[in-house]
Amino acid sequence: MNKVFLEIRDLKKSFGTGEAKQDVLRGMSFTVDEGEFCVLLGPSGSGKSTLLNIIGGIDTPDSGYISIKGDKLEDMNEKQLTAYRRRHLGYVFQMYNLIPNLNVKENIEVGAYLSEKPLDVEEVITTLGLQDHKYKYPNQLSGGQQQRVSIGRAVVKNPDILMCDEPTGALDYKTSKEILALIEDCNKKFGSTIIMVTHNEAIKDMADHVIKLRDGVVRHNDRNEKKLTAEELEW
Amino acid sequence: MKNPLIKRVPRELIRDWHKYLVIIIFMVLMIGVISGMYVGHDSMLAQINAGVEELVLEDGSFEITRKASDKMLEDIAAGEKADVRSFFIEKGIKEADKEVAAAVDEKLREEVNAAIEEAVRTQCDAYGISDEKTIREQIDQAIEAGFEDALKEAKGSEEYRKAVDEAYEEAHEEVVRAVDEKWDEISKRYDLDSEVFSPAAVKIYEHFYRNEAEDFDNDGKQDATVRIFKTDSQIDKAVFFEGGAPVADDEIAIDRMHAQNAGVGMGDRITVAGKSFKIAGLLSYVNYLTLHEKNTDLMFDAFGFDVAMLTPSAFDRLDSRIHYNYAYKYCTAPEGKTEQADLADSFLKALITQTLVYENELEDYLPGYLSQARNFAPSDIEGDSTTTSILCYILIGVIAFIFGITISNTIEKEASVIGTLRASGYTKAELIRHFMSMPLIVTILGAVIGNILGYTLFKTVALDLYYQSYSLPPCHIVWSKTALIKTTVIPFILMLVINLTVIVSKMQISPLRFLRHDLAKNKRTKARRLPAWSFLGRFRLRILFQNMPNYLVLIFGVVFIELMLCFAFGLPDSLEHYGENAGDMVFAEYQYMLMGSTDEDGETIDTAVEGAERFSAKSLMYEKNTSSMRMGMGSGGDESVTVYGIEDNSAYVRLGNDVDENAVYASSAFIKKFDLAVGDVIKLHEEYENKSYEFKIAGQTDYDGGIAVFMKNEDFNKVFEKEADEFSGYFSHEEITDIEESDIATVITSEDITKVTNQLIHSLGGAINVFKYVLIVLAAALIYLLAKIIIERNEHSISMVKILGFENKEIASLYILPTAIVVVIFSVLSFFAGYALMLLVFKIFVLQMDGYFAFYMSRQSMVLSVVYLLIGYALVSLIDLIRIRKIPLDVALKNVE
Repeated sequence: MNKVFLEIRDLKKSFGTGEAKQDVLRGMSFTVDEGEFCVLLGPSGSGKSTLLNIIGGIDTPDSGYISIKGDKLEDMNEKQLTAYRRRHLGYVFQMYNLIPNLNVKENIEVGAYLSEKPLDVEEVITTLGLQDHKYKYPNQLSGGQQQRVSIGRAVVKNPDILMCDEPTGALDYKTSKEILALIEDCNKKFGSTIIMVTHNEAIKDMADHVIKLRDGVVRHNDRNEKKLTAEELEW
Repeated sequence: MKNPLIKRVPRELIRDWHKYLVIIIFMVLMIGVISGMYVGHDSMLAQINAGVEELVLEDGSFEITRKASDKMLEDIAAGEKADVRSFFIEKGIKEADKEVAAAVDEKLREEVNAAIEEAVRTQCDAYGISDEKTIREQIDQAIEAGFEDALKEAKGSEEYRKAVDEAYEEAHEEVVRAVDEKWDEISKRYDLDSEVFSPAAVKIYEHFYRNEAEDFDNDGKQDATVRIFKTDSQIDKAVFFEGGAPVADDEIAIDRMHAQNAGVGMGDRITVAGKSFKIAGLLSYVNYLTLHEKNTDLMFDAFGFDVAMLTPSAFDRLDSRIHYNYAYKYCTAPEGKTEQADLADSFLKALITQTLVYENELEDYLPGYLSQARNFAPSDIEGDSTTTSILCYILIGVIAFIFGITISNTIEKEASVIGTLRASGYTKAELIRHFMSMPLIVTILGAVIGNILGYTLFKTVALDLYYQSYSLPPCHIVWSKTALIKTTVIPFILMLVINLTVIVSKMQISPLRFLRHDLAKNKRTKARRLPAWSFLGRFRLRILFQNMPNYLVLIFGVVFIELMLCFAFGLPDSLEHYGENAGDMVFAEYQYMLMGSTDEDGETIDTAVEGAERFSAKSLMYEKNTSSMRMGMGSGGDESVTVYGIEDNSAYVRLGNDVDENAVYASSAFIKKFDLAVGDVIKLHEEYENKSYEFKIAGQTDYDGGIAVFMKNEDFNKVFEKEADEFSGYFSHEEITDIEESDIATVITSEDITKVTNQLIHSLGGAINVFKYVLIVLAAALIYLLAKIIIERNEHSISMVKILGFENKEIASLYILPTAIVVVIFSVLSFFAGYALMLLVFKIFVLQMDGYFAFYMSRQSMVLSVVYLLIGYALVSLIDLIRIRKIPLDVALKNVE
């Protein structure tokens, strides 16, 4: 039996007050097992990014709770949350958010610095196919290359959980597939639990676990019996 | 593993090198100047202090009319008072005895003669001899034959012995009475009978000198008075800047400062006492750090007075009278001012009494602590630097805010990166440390380079300023703790605190808000409604609102620039103004300070000059509040206050009827300097005694020339326990010629005040103008930095409007015009703020020194200070225009989210 890594129970979150109040999460519950590749799928406004932020400890729910390996995030203060993110999480964003005046290698070192058990930076660079670009600055790279660096920065920490927020949202088809392949590799090679937020339906086929969200609630919570590789995906 | 973020710092430095270069130049210049000043200051004071031992600086000196015998010097050195009364009684009795003996002998002879004559006449009468000629012959024969026997017989009589004893007794009593009377007067004047006396044992050194005429341009006319000492003197030695002590009899060593003023140097020949001498050395005497000819001189005179050194044989060949000057050092050095004063007082008593019993005459006595020539320069040097430190701190504050705002802009620009890092687990502290590193590294860099320049280049500038003014010795550089604190520790703390405050407040936002670029603290629910202007007008207004925090820093910076410009223009203006108004700085055209109110014969010193008016004066101290920057912190001493006693209905100083023993009028300078008001009570104390006086300020006398209080002469004499008719000098509209020169201590005229200003202008020399232009350049550089921030912050928007099709000149009008409007409006307003701030800074500066010096700025300078700022801004706007043109279009495209 797979070990539960992440447990979410009756999570609620709303923004605004009065008439402007908007319920983004309206009692969401599910679990993610350790080492699972989980895709949170949903249209715009379904609450997937909010959910990801709450899982990442950078936003808080109005009610309900999240526990990671049995530790409830609601019991943690800001310092402990930072420590939690430092120890367990890796983040990949749609817009890469690389540090402009650090080169590729140094941007990846930014992640390595945070970890007590970082992966070898050179090895990550090679894995990501950035060997020829490691001394380039972000503005000398294409969008796909920048996203690779962003993944490298997250992966090099050897995180327990890799959070990806629309990692292919700003990329073309070919590059998107390359990036997805990389994330898939990380899942296999380093055993990281991956939670990926996307609105791209096709990506669900490469996940172990697919959670479909709509209007702030879980509409479907399925585990794929058979999954495709990133290479096999089509959209 | 080292935090890789640190690698951004050098890259950021290189990427924006011109901005950091300007900042570092700023800091280096300010820190360098301050460091140099303190290093120069500390080194010079250390050298002066070292000279006390190394060059055997006297503890005081005295001059007597005739050369002292070894025995006299031995007795003076013991420090004990001589028994003057007994000496004079003994002496008087000896003289009286001689006189009595002679008088008695003469009287007895007269009486014996008379007795013999009477006996002969009686006999002649009995024999019927009536011829006078015969009688006279008989008398002469009788005297010749019996005078000695008769005299002997008379001397042996009881009656005679009684009469003689009475005569001696009467004479002795007369002597004692006369001596007592004289002694009472002397002992009262010098307080010789005081029970408070502790012998001041000293070691005495012969230190004779001659005052000669010096003709340094050899044109046959006297240019200066030169005081010549011998090369073999064992006290008050000199150090040499160039050359050394004269070896040959036609060689001379003269004061360096005087030589510089006279335009002579090594190897040149000057004429002294009609003889030609070659300059073999340029020196600085340890007891002549300023060239005060007389201790009562208001100002030293490095043009008209010189000190020099000759070989003993050359000295002996001079013709003018030798001044039998002796210097002394205490066997046990006194500690503190009061002990110094007590010891000097005791020694004076010993000196006066010993001089009297050795029948010499004391011509001059000057304890070291009262010597202007040795104390003026060190006390002036001690009071320096505080103002510059304040300016430095303000500048560092401005730079810290520039950093703060730059970092704040960077944080906004890199919000998503920061959000990512925070989301990835970077702590706030790590990011705060990261953003703090740049300002701190730049500060340390500025401090290190500044201090290196301070210890090398600027210290020379500071020392040169001292050397331009005073006859100081060459000095070695010493480590200055003050320089380290003021130029490194305080700027570092300022930078740390200001930036930490800005960054910490900025970092309080959650990672999520960083990721969303949601950094505004006060969320406006609705956009500001703007007036119905043209689109561009409203656009500009939006830019103005959007850049409000940057404009606030810009305004702060402009105020600082105006402060600097006020300083640059105001300092020379103030000096000039002071010189021009010298006439108003004196009560009268002539102010004569007398040696005492009576002359040598005890007669009151009077003058027939019409309108001359007596006054009394005394110096007391006013305690500065050293815990308050605005009341004298860092001044290193109390303020000297002259208390004047003025005649009723004085024509020179107007006093109201509300003055009495406890109420005085204060000079306007005193009131302005210490923020006093009528009704306040001031406490003045004696400098060298434990005695203080409290006075209520009853009014103000319009007198900016000095720190003074005024009371009626009769009250003055009561308060300070003087004789009812005692006074200190005369005010006069005309020159007084009927008072002996020897009775006059000093004369103060408006020319003396001008001399002080001229000396100041000469001392500061071209430095004022250099300083002015440096400040103007710094002002332009500061505007450059501040304007750059605004363009940088709007880089993204500028790029975007470029994409939209705006032309460069339209963009310039959008982004430069609001800044220009702000600069123009605030350069005028900031002038007033800068001027007010300057008055405050100048006040603090004046508090560090003795006396009062008002800040003045001419209208022309006021206008110029604004015009220069605007010219500086116009130049910076041109650079901004180029900067705007250079902003590429892809800035907006690359980071669109």
